[in-house]
Amino acid sequence: MASKKSKQKMSAGQWAIFAFLCVLVVVFLYPIAFIFINSFKGKFFISNDPFSLPDGETFVGIDNYINGLTKTGFLGAIGWSFFITIISVALIVFFTSMTAYYITRVKGKLTNGIYFMFAFSMVVPFQMVMFTMVSLADKLKLNNPIGMCFLYLGFGAGLAVFMFSGFVKSIPLEIEEAAMIDGCNPLQNYFGVVFPILKPTAITVAILQAMWVWNDYLLPYLVIGLSTNYKTIPVVVQMLVGSNGNKDMGAMMAMLVLAIVPIVIFYLSCQKYIIEGVVAGAVKG
Amino acid sequence: MQKTLKKYFLVFTLPTLIAFSLAFVIPFILGVYLSFCKFTTVDNATFNGIQNYINAFSSTSGFISSLGFTVKFVVVAIVTINVFAFCLALLLTKKIKGTNVFRTVFFMPNLIGGIVLGYTWQQMLNAVLLHYEKTLISSPTFGYWGLVLLMNWQMIGYMMIIYIAGLQNVPTDLLEAAKIDGASRSQTLFKVTIPMVMPSITICTFLTLSNSFKLYDQNLALTAGAPSHKTEMVALNIVNSFYGKAGYEGVGQAKALMFFIVVGAVGLLQLVFTRKQEVDQ
Amino acid sequence: MKKKLISTLLCVSMVATMLVGCGGGSEEADTSGETTTEETEIETEEAGDDAAAEESTEEGDAAASAEGGKVYYLNFKPEADETWQAIAAEYTELTGTEVKVVTAASGSYEETLKSEIAKTDAPTLFQINGPVGYQSWKDYCLDLKDTDFYSWLLDPTLAIEGEDGGVYGIPYVVEGYGIIYNNAIMDKYFALEGAKAASMDEVNNFAKLKEVVEDMQARKDELGIDGVFASTSLLPGEDWRWQTHLANLPVYYELKDKNATDVDALDFTYAENFKNIFDLYINNSCTAPGLLTSKDVTSSMAEFALGQVAMVQNGNWGWGQISGVDGNTVAETDVKFLPIYTGVEGEESQGLCTGTENFFCVNSQANEADQAATIAFLEWLYSSEEGKAHVTNDLGFIAPFNTFEDDEKPTDPLAQEVLRYMEDSSKTSVSWNFTIFPSQQFKDDFGAALGEYCNGSMTWEDVVNTVKTRWAEEKAAVAAAE
Repeated sequence: MASKKSKQKMSAGQWAIFAFLCVLVVVFLYPIAFIFINSFKGKFFISNDPFSLPDGETFVGIDNYINGLTKTGFLGAIGWSFFITIISVALIVFFTSMTAYYITRVKGKLTNGIYFMFAFSMVVPFQMVMFTMVSLADKLKLNNPIGMCFLYLGFGAGLAVFMFSGFVKSIPLEIEEAAMIDGCNPLQNYFGVVFPILKPTAITVAILQAMWVWNDYLLPYLVIGLSTNYKTIPVVVQMLVGSNGNKDMGAMMAMLVLAIVPIVIFYLSCQKYIIEGVVAGAVKG
Repeated sequence: MQKTLKKYFLVFTLPTLIAFSLAFVIPFILGVYLSFCKFTTVDNATFNGIQNYINAFSSTSGFISSLGFTVKFVVVAIVTINVFAFCLALLLTKKIKGTNVFRTVFFMPNLIGGIVLGYTWQQMLNAVLLHYEKTLISSPTFGYWGLVLLMNWQMIGYMMIIYIAGLQNVPTDLLEAAKIDGASRSQTLFKVTIPMVMPSITICTFLTLSNSFKLYDQNLALTAGAPSHKTEMVALNIVNSFYGKAGYEGVGQAKALMFFIVVGAVGLLQLVFTRKQEVDQ
Repeated sequence: MKKKLISTLLCVSMVATMLVGCGGGSEEADTSGETTTEETEIETEEAGDDAAAEESTEEGDAAASAEGGKVYYLNFKPEADETWQAIAAEYTELTGTEVKVVTAASGSYEETLKSEIAKTDAPTLFQINGPVGYQSWKDYCLDLKDTDFYSWLLDPTLAIEGEDGGVYGIPYVVEGYGIIYNNAIMDKYFALEGAKAASMDEVNNFAKLKEVVEDMQARKDELGIDGVFASTSLLPGEDWRWQTHLANLPVYYELKDKNATDVDALDFTYAENFKNIFDLYINNSCTAPGLLTSKDVTSSMAEFALGQVAMVQNGNWGWGQISGVDGNTVAETDVKFLPIYTGVEGEESQGLCTGTENFFCVNSQANEADQAATIAFLEWLYSSEEGKAHVTNDLGFIAPFNTFEDDEKPTDPLAQEVLRYMEDSSKTSVSWNFTIFPSQQFKDDFGAALGEYCNGSMTWEDVVNTVKTRWAEEKAAVAAAE
């Protein structure tokens, strides 16, 4: 489609818009370019001359990256961020779709009540349950990556159930009934018939939840926090900048770059799904 | 079919329900109770009536001023983000070369987390202000506009995508009909296009509203409330009450409950509004 | 029928797999739990062996009762984080006791302690900053009266005593702060024609200091410096040198006048003196006043280390931050201390500000094995040869314990200076009174007000008012919380 469009001749007005958009692209990318450039400067030069390109005296190569990585355990953080995000999203998609299916198909006071609770939880600000949830998580020994995934299942359930329910409603009952007549029991029916139909919604849910879990700061900070080796990327970035005793601007720039890179790669490779997922999520949520 | 399925209640719902109860239901109920208690940990709570609520409104707790700052921010953020996003969406549906590339770039900041984004902008803005011998926390005005700028940067792309989807659904024959009837461009825009994308506008307003209202990460990273808590938003103020000051956990919990009521009320209004819209169509 | 049976079987097996899947997860968790306990068991066995071996030598009894205990220290000093980690690793290697050290970000110790101590795996060793800290944390402080660690204290009155006579906090370091100056730059200035003084000995009050500093600032190009003072770091969390340390002087003099140890309302009678020195710092610096709210301690110490400035206010703990900077141009012998003069009458005999705001506390709510392990760790650190070497050489602490011989004092130039001032009978040390400052909140607000003053968005009068009202409010809030 896009290639077809570009073959068309553009009018002067369209060229003007094109030029304007190009300027805007530069504006949008500038902050990222800014930290990228500065991540190669020595830490004392950054604050003095932030806009220049690194040259002989100020250029320190990848020192900042090495410093940042060794000081903060950033590599570990990348690993834990991946671990927690992938497991949490898998748990959320797997379990909440089942729950959503059940409470949509089986009508009753109980299921209605449950559905209402899930929808309700989306409105509640995190701060409302923050303190009590952290104490509870600590008492139940959930202050580890596995426990975090479990908590994310609980927190993500609201939005996920809500979205899956909306979609399940639109699946015609006939398909399932046919399967039931063939002798499938509900589980077979669900995994054999319903879940494949849910796949597009599952992708949407997965993307929305992945974006949230990956970037989430407060929950991992409070639950597993400083005292363990399971820090995630946002926690490490905040620590590095917040730990003022040995603040290192260069290392900070480098870590910001490293924190952005995986997201950009992920985005560029699954762009289509992400944009579609976000639109679908917004329209339904 | 329902009957057979009904027996599978636990199989289908148990894991989600356990996690949901632990992460949300129990903490929520406990939280409501604790907002009427004095406590430092969940185990040593003693009932003290509405004292926490009274303390939350005292001038030193900063709750009211943070609420004021938040509202001021939310209003400007909603307007700017939506206007810019809508304009960009209009431009990107004009069959310009490289539309996909533009869309990709504009959307990208949305994926970067609040903490990382906040520090990126802090560095940027400090570098600009250095020129004027000022810093981001020299004055609350800088922090305020910095936050507006940052949120625009982050959310414009997101809203733009939704508007594009909305604009693409406007039937072309309707636009052509307007053209034939001799409607000017602005007339077409305000009389045809905008009413047709009203659902998108509602969605975007709601999303910007709830995202800006509950903003925490960006606020923490950009200014952390400096100078003197003047750029502190509600969410940050609540977290600071919980963890910043011994003996103020109860006050934090009370503030959180009030925050929830405000957010809930706004959300409910929005829902009613959306429903009405849907009926109208 | 057959078909149905098969399908039922299939589903059962599916559910079974799922359940096993779940069960497997928890089992795995269980086994991992088991392995860790096994590991600790092995470790403690080793510890036991070690302890048995050591029994004949020294602290065998403490180590034996500490069997199975773990140490978790929440460290206050970010600059010493690496050293503490190394000490922890060495101790674990030596005894098998697990020692975990976590460092709180500067300015957020209370906050971190608060969230950490509510956890089941809470710190066993933490610190309070004095009587005010004790009031907030007394529920978590163990009585240390019967420990050897307490008995070694040179001056037992320095320890924090509870109302019941128990000992709940033990000072572990004595520190001093003042204005650190680079003697080479000063000598260069004194050699200039028309210098306002001939040597540092003449600079013994505020008037003289101001005269010299302002002249130096005017002639900074001749001296090859960017400014006299390093940046007055006012970034939130980085402002403790002013809202705590510098603020100690007016409070010290006010308490002295009132003959009190604490006040509910601060009159801030010496506000003008604070302003004297503060203005001198910000107006004769390498950084414009408007930019100070972006500066941190590290960069201001680096400015000093790189020879860009002649003076910086800090304490002897800052030596590592001077010597550790790449391209450091300051010779060790040129690093000296000057008392902070503020224009108070008779300040010629004023010495450095010396004292402590670092008191070790053992978590009374930790289990007994952990408490014993923690005390054993402290006693090792402050009495064994290896431990003491870490304390004096790596941490650079002037330790207030009789287990340290005269030659076991830190050798870095700043610690030497602190000791010199302490031993000089003509100088009166200024005690650390900021331990009675009402709360971290008060200090943060004071720091923010100073930042706004530098930016020109707050008048000095407003700063003074902020200090007075916030002091009274926070003192009342603390009293109400008790």
